[in-house]
Amino acid sequence: MRFNEKELVSLSRQPSEKAAELGMRGPKKGDVVKKRLVKLVVNFLFYFRTDEEEPIGALLLEQCRVEKEDSQTFSIAFLDEAEKKYLFECDSEEQCGEWIDCIIKASYEFMRKNLIFYRTEIHRLTGKDPLEQYGISDETRFQVSNGLQLMTRDTSSL
Amino acid sequence: MKLNERSVAHYATCDSPPDKTGFLFKKGERNTAYHRRWFVLKGNMLFYFEERDSREPIGVIVLEGCTVELCESAEEFAFAIKFDCAKARVYKMAAENHAAMESWVKALSRASFDYMRLVVKELERQLEEIQEAAGAGCVGAGVGGLQARSKTSRRNQVARSRSGVSSSSSSLSSVSSSSSATNTSVPIAGQKSLQDEGQLISECSKENGITWSKPQAALANGSVETACVAWEACGDSGNNTVSDGVRAPPVPPRRRGASLESPVSPGTSCFSKLHDWYGKEVEELRVQWLQGQ
Repeated sequence: MRFNEKELVSLSRQPSEKAAELGMRGPKKGDVVKKRLVKLVVNFLFYFRTDEEEPIGALLLEQCRVEKEDSQTFSIAFLDEAEKKYLFECDSEEQCGEWIDCIIKASYEFMRKNLIFYRTEIHRLTGKDPLEQYGISDETRFQVSNGLQLMTRDTSSL
Repeated sequence: MKLNERSVAHYATCDSPPDKTGFLFKKGERNTAYHRRWFVLKGNMLFYFEERDSREPIGVIVLEGCTVELCESAEEFAFAIKFDCAKARVYKMAAENHAAMESWVKALSRASFDYMRLVVKELERQLEEIQEAAGAGCVGAGVGGLQARSKTSRRNQVARSRSGVSSSSSSLSSVSSSSSATNTSVPIAGQKSLQDEGQLISECSKENGITWSKPQAALANGSVETACVAWEACGDSGNNTVSDGVRAPPVPPRRRGASLESPVSPGTSCFSKLHDWYGKEVEELRVQWLQGQ
């Protein structure tokens, strides 16, 4: 599948939500833990060799499940291949918790649900649709019926 | 650079609702003819397929940081997706008619994460204001005051949101008159106000038939009310019942500024708390159900 790599690399240089050196292990058998600079930018998780400018790779954080594996380790797995986990080793339990939280909130889907929640609440409290002033009330992605698929961290379990 | 391509392709075809779909012509890179492709927009990812029923996308354009412009072209209803980075490719596209072109240009220029985040933060701020006003106890006067306030702040917000939008995706004015356009037959006139846009959208939305008024009816019937009650019930350890009986979610803490660099603000935690509580409740129910089997 083709993708606009140059633009994605450029995105990896943008200010990030969160960045840290973590131990990262790929999902394949035989992959070992390697020290990587992990950087969260919008809904992508980029990983670099320390001090390198171009990322080795990127993970799009949609349709994924983030789990705590042990006190300092979390994993990311994608719903189409749920057994294949990317592992990330943190320096502390606190750091681990922060990363899990950030990654869960990094998806476009999560933001959409947020938006629908706020829209609904504001409408409930004021009788007015707050999106009207932007002229975006009718966008499919902001419709209530589209958003309220409440889930635990993983939709496939429902 | 590696990408989790398999999963990205899966995202394209999975049942999460697309933001927009349709046929567009895309100019090839080597073969410079325009090819008709089926496009699926999900969030900030624009996928394209050979056919409407193809199982896998041929490719994806990550739209983060792009601008969308109408362009001068032999092709009718043409527009371009451009990026700011060095040696970036320009994606030349063409729609099948004027309405489709406008609709796509609009959708694509608002596809970025930043745009979404801006809107969410704005709504979050509004909700905070409303809750504070409600909490102050003067419901009657407050509503009137609120409306007045929201009108003046609306003007500021419009100005703000415009400039906010233009930084990461094209504002209305750049949509209507691209910098390179010497083409006098640019269909959209230069100075479109937000009001005109609203009109345009309401015209377009007649086709799509999805309006806010439908869910409104649902709200009146209390379907969202119950959902809110459910959240509050499982999460309510006495945190957020306001004395006048208006049940509001926990007030998000006040934040300063709207830095695009900060992670999703602490204020959002009220939603994610509810989200988590609901999730826990669902988990517990599942366990109970499984044990009962």
